[in-house]
Amino acid sequence: MPSWPANTKYISQSTQRIDAPEKVTGRARYSSDIQADGWLYGMILRSKWPAAKILSVNLDKALQIPGIKAAVTVKDFPQTIRFYGEEIAAVAGASKQACLDALRAIEVQAEPRHEFVVREGDAIKDNSPQVWEGTPNAPAPRVRETGAVDTAFPECAAVIEGFYSTPVQLHNPMETHGNTISWTDDGVTAWASTQGISSVRDGLAGALKLDHSQVRVITNYMGGGFGSKLGGGVEGLLAARLSKEAKAPVRLMLTRFDEALAVGNRPSSFQKIKIGALADGTLHAFELENYGTAGIGAGADAGGGGGGADIPAPYIYKVPNTRVKQTAVAVNAGSSRAFRAPSHPPASFGMESAMDDLAAKLGMDPLEFRLKNDSNEIRQREYNIGAEKFGWNEKYRKPGSSPGVVKTGIGCAGAGWPAGGPSRRTQGEAQINPDGSVEFRLGVQDIGTGTKTVIAVVAAEMLGLKPEQITVKVGDTNFPPGPASGGSTTCASISPTVYDICDKALQQLQTQSGIADARGDNWFAACKKLGVTPLVVPGNWIDGLSNRPAYGVQFAEVEVDTETGLVTVKKVLGVHDCGLIIDKLTTESQINGGIIMGMGYALYEERVMDDLSGVVLNPNFETYKLSGIGDVPEIEIVLLNMPERGVIGIGEPATVPTAAAIGNAVFNAIGARVPSLPITPAKVLAALGKVPPPTVSQT
Amino acid sequence: MKAFEYATALSTDSARELVADHGAYLAGGNDLLGLLKDYLVPGPDILVNIKSLPGLDKIEPGKKFWTIGSLVTVAQIENDPEIGKVFPGLHDAAAEVASPQIRNVATVGGNLAQHSRCWYFRHRDTVCLKKGGDLCYARDGENRYHSLFTGNSCISPVVSSLATIFASLDATAIVLRDGKETRMSMAELYHRAWENPLAHNSLDGGDLVLRVEIPTARSRSSYLQVSDKHAFDWALVSCAAAAEVVGGKLKSPRVALGSISPVPHQVEAANSFLDGKTLDDATASQAADMILAGATPLEHNGYKVPMAHALIRRTLLRLKG
Repeated sequence: MPSWPANTKYISQSTQRIDAPEKVTGRARYSSDIQADGWLYGMILRSKWPAAKILSVNLDKALQIPGIKAAVTVKDFPQTIRFYGEEIAAVAGASKQACLDALRAIEVQAEPRHEFVVREGDAIKDNSPQVWEGTPNAPAPRVRETGAVDTAFPECAAVIEGFYSTPVQLHNPMETHGNTISWTDDGVTAWASTQGISSVRDGLAGALKLDHSQVRVITNYMGGGFGSKLGGGVEGLLAARLSKEAKAPVRLMLTRFDEALAVGNRPSSFQKIKIGALADGTLHAFELENYGTAGIGAGADAGGGGGGADIPAPYIYKVPNTRVKQTAVAVNAGSSRAFRAPSHPPASFGMESAMDDLAAKLGMDPLEFRLKNDSNEIRQREYNIGAEKFGWNEKYRKPGSSPGVVKTGIGCAGAGWPAGGPSRRTQGEAQINPDGSVEFRLGVQDIGTGTKTVIAVVAAEMLGLKPEQITVKVGDTNFPPGPASGGSTTCASISPTVYDICDKALQQLQTQSGIADARGDNWFAACKKLGVTPLVVPGNWIDGLSNRPAYGVQFAEVEVDTETGLVTVKKVLGVHDCGLIIDKLTTESQINGGIIMGMGYALYEERVMDDLSGVVLNPNFETYKLSGIGDVPEIEIVLLNMPERGVIGIGEPATVPTAAAIGNAVFNAIGARVPSLPITPAKVLAALGKVPPPTVSQT
Repeated sequence: MKAFEYATALSTDSARELVADHGAYLAGGNDLLGLLKDYLVPGPDILVNIKSLPGLDKIEPGKKFWTIGSLVTVAQIENDPEIGKVFPGLHDAAAEVASPQIRNVATVGGNLAQHSRCWYFRHRDTVCLKKGGDLCYARDGENRYHSLFTGNSCISPVVSSLATIFASLDATAIVLRDGKETRMSMAELYHRAWENPLAHNSLDGGDLVLRVEIPTARSRSSYLQVSDKHAFDWALVSCAAAAEVVGGKLKSPRVALGSISPVPHQVEAANSFLDGKTLDDATASQAADMILAGATPLEHNGYKVPMAHALIRRTLLRLKG
């Protein structure tokens, strides 16, 4: 059985990203920076109706705009539109302005349909307009039952009921979705902003009816995806078709406006929870009725990712008597896609909020209540370490007992991420040159988490070199195939693969050079013995070096201004585990990012749709609010390094408990529950009973 | 996009002449370029760059009043140490505007003349009342950011932080109109938006804000706003207060609020009530009640009432120093 080295020079230490200089100097060319010879801009015309029948589209006037080289429609007609922003046509031209003008010149004949619905609460009613004609918006709830819930509740010493809700969250990666695509007689080359070069390759080849070998996908640098960039998307197919028609490469990157409409989101949730515990604080009965929306349907174009509206319940807790009823309700809005720990942040917010509400009713400290009911040994350790670091016992006060106008509060919550394990089909290769230089080539992509650095760290450790001596090439489907970067699987997939490549390389070097140990000081001498022919060593993922799942707990401290409702997060402490840590620095970076994103989910982020017009009202960073540097608190991270477990991914668990911990801290501060994310000043004031009712309309 | 000419004006008269009937003045461009890119206003025939107009980029101290040119940037105000001492509320209001990058190019004139931020007005595919449509979508729709007071059917509020603090300081905008300098109080500068849903302020096409005069009569001033976020976010409610304090008593106090009305919200009766009073919690609270009397909260903006109440009390109590 292989095993990771015990005494390490680089593994579990901090290595700066090997591509940091490129990134900070701007030399790194992201997918949206690609300028292929003779490239054109591409742009998409979207529906301005939430529901309509498109009878015909006339592209003639668009094609007459100077600089426009191609125009295509998305579908044949009539085309049924089911959400605001659905793609209708696309143009390619020599300038952005030409494309913008061309979009406005396209003539669309449509019959708008006035029956549409954008609110979950409306869509679930029997008399709602149907998103898919002839099909109810919500199927009958699926029911899962264990024990005997109805007799268990009367046995409880304390029972609470709550209605907790979470909004539709948008991925909004800093780099928008899109590709530059060149389609020539030789095939298609796509420079894609993707987290899955292979899934994009397969998707494009399938849709364009080309052999896989005719499609090459390249992703040198990309600016985030969070689950929404696993496929090439409608925008990818349009770029390809425009390229073929224009006989030129087409760069079709979406705008920030587009990002809010048609490239995925996290489903909402509306969770009616009833939960009860025995007098000693043992959870005894749990009931959940939940619905949420995945837009017109879940997971369209997810390329293997989920994105449904169901949530795991009662999340990380074991309750002997449970009943869980869930359904997803369709609305006239863009489809959901996998989003960083799909279904976990809403599950965590609902369940962990209910836990604190029940703890309050029992008169128990919520941390003590968790330690009593969470049987997971790793989380138990994490809670204990965290409580000590955070000063939980010194800081904890009963809910609402903080004095003054600006009240302080603390809260905590736990995570469990069942994935994070490896993709067993991962392959790679290294080319070792006689001059001692070495290049690793893996058909994965660096979604921004430090994948290249992980490869360099493992290779350096195994070969006795320095990380900067390792050349890493990823993001090209011409390399041996690797997994999509989803489910926090990348690190656990590539680390054993690089281990295997190194192991085999060292054996071959030994054979070819006669030097018993080619590592470190002997490296260059051994390589020199290769003569004139480089050594190319393939390898693949091997068992025994990676694992799943990951856990993790977080603690939050907040200040709440009870007169203005403003919540200020003062501190978040994350105690996380991911088995063997490969690079401490990039691991911590993932957790920082997870916490900051979780804080956005807690306090700021929400897609807002208008009932009457069916449009998304906040398709920009002005009113789709993201955590900014002025909002980010002190973040402290404690990592449990567990080499004996092998390598596990961390990207997703890091964002799971943040919103719940912050929500519980707000509850602890003001003694009133804000049961709905995001926790805005408006909702805090409402929870405190300070908001006057609406004036009756005078019209 | 409709093609347009571009010219740089070197005098206010030539700027006015160049802009003619269908042109637009370009200074910082933050608002104008957004409006043009989103096709929210008719495309102008000409953009007249006014950044080179002489003399309008200066902050000039004076005994009775200070003059702030309309091309002075928000960052200039924020970073002027004397302003911080003479008009601390103005400093604080400037420091809350958007982000440092925007403050570096945003001008006083542009801040005062900016258009509504209502998300229905700003949306490319809704034709709301303010854009000449038949309907205020916000009234029965998503009105969390909208007004508690209005004189017409549009409920989009004024969002200029500078207008809020200027109103409390009783500042006057000097506007070039029909070849003459016209003096407008902040109430006058926005009055048209109170009664006309199509208006964002009282400026006519071709009107050019030249400068703002701020009386030095109120040596104490303060400004506070609450936003969803801690930085780079619009105010949900903003509040400014200014007064002279003589022997512990307020003299000529003024309070103004932003983001709750199409105009800087001012209640003269409350100003009179406060005049000569010694500030304490109860007095400030009574003033806040007077200022917010008659508020008509809608489904989603009722929170602005307690928020505004708190901000009125806090800005007033800050005047004590």
